[in-house]
Amino acid sequence: MSRKRHCLVPETFGLKRRRERGPVEADPLRGESGSARAALAELVQLFPRGLFEDALPPIALRSQVYSLVPDRTVADRQLKELQERGEIRIIQLGFDLDAHGIIFTEDYRTRVLKACDGRPYAGAVQKFLTSVLPACGDLSFQQDQMTQTFGFRDPEITHLVNAGVLTVRDAGSWWLAVPGAGRFIKYFVKGRQVVLGMVRKAKYRELLLSELLGRRAPATVRLGLAYHVHDLIGAQLVDCISTSSGTLLRLPET
Amino acid sequence: MLSGGSDGVIVLYDLENSSRKPYYTCKALCSIDRNHPDVHKYSVETVQWYPHDTGMFTSSSFDKTLKVWDTNTLQTADVFNFEETVYSHHMSPVATKHCLVAVGTRGPKVQLCDLKSGSCSHILQGHRQEILAVSWSPRYDYILATASADSRVKLWDVRRASGCLITLDQHNGKKSQAVESANTAHNGKVNGLCFTSDGLHLLTVGTDNRMRLWNSSNGENTLVNYGKVCNNSRKGLKFTVSCGCSSEFVFVPYGSTIAVYTVYSGEQITMLKGHYKSVDCCVFQSNFQELYSGSRDCNILAWVPSLYEPVPDDDETTTKSQLNPAFEDAWSSTDEEG
Repeated sequence: MSRKRHCLVPETFGLKRRRERGPVEADPLRGESGSARAALAELVQLFPRGLFEDALPPIALRSQVYSLVPDRTVADRQLKELQERGEIRIIQLGFDLDAHGIIFTEDYRTRVLKACDGRPYAGAVQKFLTSVLPACGDLSFQQDQMTQTFGFRDPEITHLVNAGVLTVRDAGSWWLAVPGAGRFIKYFVKGRQVVLGMVRKAKYRELLLSELLGRRAPATVRLGLAYHVHDLIGAQLVDCISTSSGTLLRLPET
Repeated sequence: MLSGGSDGVIVLYDLENSSRKPYYTCKALCSIDRNHPDVHKYSVETVQWYPHDTGMFTSSSFDKTLKVWDTNTLQTADVFNFEETVYSHHMSPVATKHCLVAVGTRGPKVQLCDLKSGSCSHILQGHRQEILAVSWSPRYDYILATASADSRVKLWDVRRASGCLITLDQHNGKKSQAVESANTAHNGKVNGLCFTSDGLHLLTVGTDNRMRLWNSSNGENTLVNYGKVCNNSRKGLKFTVSCGCSSEFVFVPYGSTIAVYTVYSGEQITMLKGHYKSVDCCVFQSNFQELYSGSRDCNILAWVPSLYEPVPDDDETTTKSQLNPAFEDAWSSTDEEG
């Protein structure tokens, strides 16, 4: 039972005078960069490279970009443009069909090559990186595309799946994937639950952003509090309310 | 206005506000209540006026029937029986060459019933699960959009025998005929469909809490992002688009409120709060520019745009409120009678 009444009756009837929206004061996390590219560059800094011994390329999430670029449609369009230019790849992270990871193509290429160095499937992966990646910017690949357009045989496709570069989506179609991303996804899902739990356990289920960031990160949050908070705000798992003491994160009613 | 309730009752209201007061109640003119011999046995899901005049209307319900009623006598003119519960039906608002009613049921086949001959004329196959919403295009006579629980939205030309024209793909992948089976419009069930009033774009909502805007001629996702649009409905959600505004708005039921967004930019304008329980449907009347919404709390509310006050010329005006005052909630409540 929620003790605090969030929606006061005078608000519904419009009796309260609406306050003028003054300039939003600079908060540590909110509304800085205007473009998706700058947002990505910033988010990539937040990714803990040392945790994965540099074997994973820095992954940012689409929801994190939404928290930095206030207009979602503009953010989507800019990301689509970057994808078409070949500067970023968008990866389907397995746990939620909506969560897309964004990786710079260069980082992806170097890390994948490093990961499959000296393994039996290195040849197939090399061929994939040189012929398929620049040509096709999509998240997923189809059977006939791979065999006819790019000339891959079935054993080679099996090599790619073993290498972790492709993940099965449906009969005859595959998602693009990052080898070794399993650990990242595990930490991410766990960390998201824990940070959301921190807001949930607070009194009235709301926390000031500055207070949340100031707390010590529990041991299960390996990717960093700021990383998770951007994701929660962008995925609308918490509502952001601007108050006179800064941004407040509150769990939504529904 | 025609409204169907979950008890099978259909009521007709007179929407004219002749009392000239800002808060008024619309009178119920007549109703098909539980005593009527032909009343629906279970919940009425969809009601629609005959597109060309108000002499006739159609209603479909969970009792597996679609009934065609004569308004003046309130008798059924025809009944179509189906094998499964009917989730939604729609008759084309612009068609002059055909009188087909598209019916979406719990089975995966879309049935087209012909009012002139009184029988089901044909079936559209392609979906794999129940059809939750159907809608004819307001631009072309023969184009139909259907939305299903298998996450797919398909556009059909009903004259073609060979299957659907396009299956909408949210990722805008390369078009390839062989793998249309992998295309999904949403990551969950697709609950509601609405064409914009010019028929060039199509809006869909799904249980993945997203609303998407599609270009209806080539099936491309325009990637306009409305944010999280909460959708917990297990059956169809009826939402609507404004008609005649300078930038069109879409009104979507969002829990117990109605969220208003601009269609082409995705910006949320406001949330209309007034109902006590979850809102199931809303409809826009373009002649009065009013919105009507029905909810589980047994109320139908009419939302009237509040007008700008004329600004006197010589005064230094104080800055106006940033919120668009065109959709502030002016309460008008209607009560169901009988």
